[in-house]
Amino acid sequence: MSQVPQLSRSRRSKWHYLLVGVGLIVVAISLTVAWGILAAPEVAGTRAVAPARVVAYFFGSVMFLLLIAGLVLIVLLLLREVRLNERQSNFVSAVTHELKTPVASLKLYLETLEYREVPAERRSEFYRTMRQDIERLNTTINNVLNAAMYTDRPVAAPRPLDLARLARRAAELTLTRHQLAKGSIRYDGPESLRVSGDAQALETALLNLLDNAVKYSKEKVEIELDVWGDADGQAHLRVRDHGIGMSRTHLPFIFTRFYRIGAEVRRSRTGTGLGLFIVRAIVKGHKGSITVDSPGPDRGSTFTITLPGLLEPEPESDAEPEAARA
Amino acid sequence: MPRILLVEDEEHLAAGIRFNLELDGYEVETIDDGLRALERLVPPPDGGAAPQPIDLVVLDVMLPGLDGFQIVERMRLAANYTPVLMLTAKGLPEDVASGLEAGADDYLAKPFDLPVLLARVKGLIRRRDWARGSTADAVRVGPALVDFANFELRKGEALVRLTLLEAMLLKLLVEKRGQVVTKAEILEKVWNLNPDTETRAVDNFVMRLRRHLEEDAREPRLLQTVRGVGYRLQD
Repeated sequence: MSQVPQLSRSRRSKWHYLLVGVGLIVVAISLTVAWGILAAPEVAGTRAVAPARVVAYFFGSVMFLLLIAGLVLIVLLLLREVRLNERQSNFVSAVTHELKTPVASLKLYLETLEYREVPAERRSEFYRTMRQDIERLNTTINNVLNAAMYTDRPVAAPRPLDLARLARRAAELTLTRHQLAKGSIRYDGPESLRVSGDAQALETALLNLLDNAVKYSKEKVEIELDVWGDADGQAHLRVRDHGIGMSRTHLPFIFTRFYRIGAEVRRSRTGTGLGLFIVRAIVKGHKGSITVDSPGPDRGSTFTITLPGLLEPEPESDAEPEAARA
Repeated sequence: MPRILLVEDEEHLAAGIRFNLELDGYEVETIDDGLRALERLVPPPDGGAAPQPIDLVVLDVMLPGLDGFQIVERMRLAANYTPVLMLTAKGLPEDVASGLEAGADDYLAKPFDLPVLLARVKGLIRRRDWARGSTADAVRVGPALVDFANFELRKGEALVRLTLLEAMLLKLLVEKRGQVVTKAEILEKVWNLNPDTETRAVDNFVMRLRRHLEEDAREPRLLQTVRGVGYRLQD
């Protein structure tokens, strides 16, 4: 009668591998120690011994150590592989869910409109729901495409762009997309900050960060978006939210492809585990860096992007910044 | 008016399904979290007044808090045999099997057809009524006394609660006592599946019934396999 969901099955087999690996390592170490104790008196000269045996003892010890190191390496690699496998299967689940749920909803509402008498006011509500489902589908498709487009690739043709303007535009887009009040995202930064880069890619990255900030906010959305340049010729972009935050144990992993906090079958937020991976890929493509900090669960998160290539302010103000064309 | 509990965390789907079920004359209660759903279905002992009984649960698999498989499994462990229709984005045969094994009574993959969803809901409520409404209050099957109205099987001192599918399978066999019932007929009447479906579900459920009924489930005397055809309940 009992059933085991696939996730716990794979988790269990991981422990089997680990136990076998650790068992083998213990056996190898015990063998080495036992062999050392048996051979030591001969080598130490308490018993007469041929020099050839000392050499054999030396090589034997090295071989044993290599064997143990090899075993440890195999166990670690195996664990990494198992973890990647788990993440990939989580990703497939997440994408399946992210694609099928809005499709299921669209189909349900279309069929309802087709088969039922729907009053006018409910009808417009249904249309609004369907538009939001299409938005969600579009986001998932874009995430998958962007992950393929920006992975391990430097920016093809960096061009001058206005990061401050790009940030304000992304904030406005996020407000519209999530139907938020104007003050929900507070911008703090210069009127203009010129850097060299790919405006479209940077906007994608920033939109992803802002979307996350909204998604992981609690009831009230309060996001701070700061932009500044420093004396070392670097530009900085910081997105801070006051949402659910995360435990410190997750911080090192959140930019990893397919990484999502918690088991996929008990998912509580939409997403595919690609968003932050794309952000990091884009920042890396600009030779920049991204950091995250969260004081802990329920205490918000802060993402900071640092980009090299700060440019001198534009002497003429009539030039069309790249961001506007993105 | 039958009361349906809809456990779905996707707001749009929950609203759309609710709208349609209500139009079909059901009372609908919605919950968007696994743990709260379990609390509703298996109330804690000191939970105060008994909540209104539920006639059918429409249950999503991927839920915050607790997943659908675990909810249905814990429901059954707590002797709650309310029929469960599982809805999920995963429609692979092994997922269907997992759902049915966990104790769900029917399974529908997303995206589903609205008429199919409504037919399955209606079908499950009808099947429950069919399994309950027996010709006799209690039927003797070998050493056991089966009370179809309450889905209970009593063998000596032991009392076994039957799931909807177990009760339906047993009822079908009882109604055709002495005759061979084919696997195709069982799949169609009990599981509501195409008779050609390749599944071990029937064999698994027959095994479960044998454990309830037979002295030795490996050497069945009452519920016999007719090789290549189906099963027969001896007179």
